[in-house]
Amino acid sequence: MADTKTTDAPEEVFYGYVAEYDSPGALVRAAEVVRDAGFKKWDSHSPFPIHGIDAAMGIRPTILPILIFGGGITGTALAVLMQWWMNAWAWQWVSSGKPFFSLPQQIPIAFECTVLLAGFTAFFGMWGLNKLPQAWHPLFKSDRFLRHSTNGYFISVEAADKKFDRAATQKLLRDTGATGVEEIRYVTSPEMRAVPRPIMGFILLTSVLALVPFAFLAKWRNSHSAEPHFHIIPDMDFQVKRRAQSTSPVFSDDREIRKPVAGTIARGELKDDDLFYRGLDNGQWSTRFPPQVELNEDTLERGRERFTIYCTPCHGEAAEGNGMVHQRAMAVNAAATGWVQPSKLTDAGFVRQPHGQIFNTITNGIRTMPAYGPQIPEKDRWAIIFYLRAIQRSRNASIDDVPADKRPTLK
Amino acid sequence: MTTPTTMDNAPANEKLYLGPLATRLKGMGMTLGVLCLGAAVVWGLMLGDDMRRFMHSYLLAFTYFLSFALGGLFFVVMLHLTSSTALVVQRRLAEILTAAFPMLFVLSLGIIIPLWVGNKSLYVWSDPDAVRGDHVLEAKAGYLNAPFFAIRMLIYFTVWMVLSRYFLKRSVEQDTSGDPALSARMKKVAGPAMILYALSTAWAGFDLLMSLTPHWFSTIWGVYFFAGCAISVYCLLAIMSFALQKSGRVTKSITVEHYHDDGKMANAFTLFWAYICFSQFMLIWVANIPEETTFFRPRMFTEWKWISIAVIVLHFCVPFVGMMSRHVKRNPPLLALWCMYMLGVHLFDLYWIVMPAFSPEKIVIHPIDFLCVAGVGGLFLFGALSVAGSARLIPVRDPKLRTSLHFINQ
Repeated sequence: MADTKTTDAPEEVFYGYVAEYDSPGALVRAAEVVRDAGFKKWDSHSPFPIHGIDAAMGIRPTILPILIFGGGITGTALAVLMQWWMNAWAWQWVSSGKPFFSLPQQIPIAFECTVLLAGFTAFFGMWGLNKLPQAWHPLFKSDRFLRHSTNGYFISVEAADKKFDRAATQKLLRDTGATGVEEIRYVTSPEMRAVPRPIMGFILLTSVLALVPFAFLAKWRNSHSAEPHFHIIPDMDFQVKRRAQSTSPVFSDDREIRKPVAGTIARGELKDDDLFYRGLDNGQWSTRFPPQVELNEDTLERGRERFTIYCTPCHGEAAEGNGMVHQRAMAVNAAATGWVQPSKLTDAGFVRQPHGQIFNTITNGIRTMPAYGPQIPEKDRWAIIFYLRAIQRSRNASIDDVPADKRPTLK
Repeated sequence: MTTPTTMDNAPANEKLYLGPLATRLKGMGMTLGVLCLGAAVVWGLMLGDDMRRFMHSYLLAFTYFLSFALGGLFFVVMLHLTSSTALVVQRRLAEILTAAFPMLFVLSLGIIIPLWVGNKSLYVWSDPDAVRGDHVLEAKAGYLNAPFFAIRMLIYFTVWMVLSRYFLKRSVEQDTSGDPALSARMKKVAGPAMILYALSTAWAGFDLLMSLTPHWFSTIWGVYFFAGCAISVYCLLAIMSFALQKSGRVTKSITVEHYHDDGKMANAFTLFWAYICFSQFMLIWVANIPEETTFFRPRMFTEWKWISIAVIVLHFCVPFVGMMSRHVKRNPPLLALWCMYMLGVHLFDLYWIVMPAFSPEKIVIHPIDFLCVAGVGGLFLFGALSVAGSARLIPVRDPKLRTSLHFINQ
């Protein structure tokens, strides 16, 4: 702003003319006349966008799309660069067995960043190209012009335009069918041009305050603290509930967990059938299956399924003590640190064991085998035993076990 | 209302009929269709592979032209549903596309009848020996079997033929009566019609294309198939408009603004296609679960990976950037060229879907592919032009036509 006439005294400035029209159509026709007269510093104003006004005013297509394209490409590039730096350079971390630098997993972020930067460029680019934000404009001096946002249609021509001539321009505007042409003047002085103090103060204050979080971050990043954690959501960190095996100030014995009231049994816990629930027959390991377990093909199939789920990992599909866990242990040489092979259940000792004893082993575990009672319901435990008996039989079978009519197929 | 309130809104001295050209084109289409399909059948029989090669080529050509008609139906229903005005002038062209549904139904018999008589060459699930002992296929056999497949095809085509007939009939009726109540009625029907359209199109995609890989499933598949339909229709509208204007028809009604809008939608749906395509791929790629990867395995780790890369580049990267500029979209010859390119890569996309099912290891291409596309295309042309001889090329008395004619992109 090389304004040589700047003085401390208020000074009146002649901004230009504003002409009013009574319809959008009249505005478009007038715009064509002003355009053809060769004016550069002029504009049209209407309450809503008017189709065809760009061509009528001779406005060249905006470069905004090219800027947006550039913004979008920048977003893509930045996103890929950021992810390369994070995943493949600064913090290499194997995720789902994918390579550190892997394009497919970067595309969603690249897409979002492309949209984000393209959107920002469109939004702020539009502001910039339209010289926004503009808090005040000389045209606001005209009361009549205030109708530009309700029902007025205006053309403004600046006195700064090279083609501008007071008399000729006024005549030109009148001839375009304007319902009125108004001179716009305003008074200005250096004081008036300065940003008002409260606004300046607000801008400065918010700028400084905006730095505070970053200052804290910088401090925390470079300092140590003996203070306990800062709890942002204490309700979640300290929940009002009791945890298992913890103490309670309510009861005299300090225990959180309470015993059942003497002489009561919880629903479904009355296990008064020794044979079915414990495998005992008159105090001895039972050699027969309880009557609740039907010895048919369905039970056998159920047993096979449960055996495959719970037993085969250690004992193997054929119950020979060579399941995947054992094979894995052998592969990592666990025998050196005391790995014991799971029992081979087809051995004669296990064949002779009463059903009840095997039931007890499944229920409570034995040696290194854990208890499966909590995981497998009683009926399924019996089904497993039933299936195990079938395996044992098949592993120690003779030709006599095969029905006579099926024997030729074995040859 | 006894007197029509809307006037004939078409510009004066506009050539609004296809006239004898329709008969000529129909004759050409029928000749081309019969000759090429006949040659393809003979060639397919000579290969002695139980028509496997032919069936895959035929499915490719059939779904390709089916997507044109489905795109047309989407466009028509969408215009009514949203009361959109900008492209009303091109609505009749889309309605002409949907007039091909009866012919497409006849063509679908080329897939249904071989299945029905026990030809097992197209779909794995139609082979009882392949299904037996295959846990997944046995479980899906209740859905994937020849009779139910035929019944579903019948349902889809009934929906499409009834809907397209409904909208086409009322639209042509309005040309003479000018009754605005017809528009209101079509708008009411458009809501349920869109739901029916969405369901039938998605399921047709599942049945025709996804079941080529019957162990595999992708819930987004229907949308993926639809994306191809939507790209096709906007490209076809631009190409058809350009060809008609070249022949001296509807020169004043369809303006550069309409081309611009077609281009915008085609470009947007190209991005939509890529978005859906990638969404489908990424979830499967990240999870890497065997039962979900069977579709992408041959397409990523055999010769087909080059086709996969080509599909990404040619179907998305090139046209997305190439059609982005408004200068391209406002240049009808250039836009028509890009649209033809899009139709080409749409076929390429379907080729990438269908052919790995035929040959999972090696890239295959055979003259039968081209014969089938030309043949089905010829018959499609014949079917689509069945109404075009008598009907006007723009809906002259649609209440929204005036707005459409003066539509301006800003």
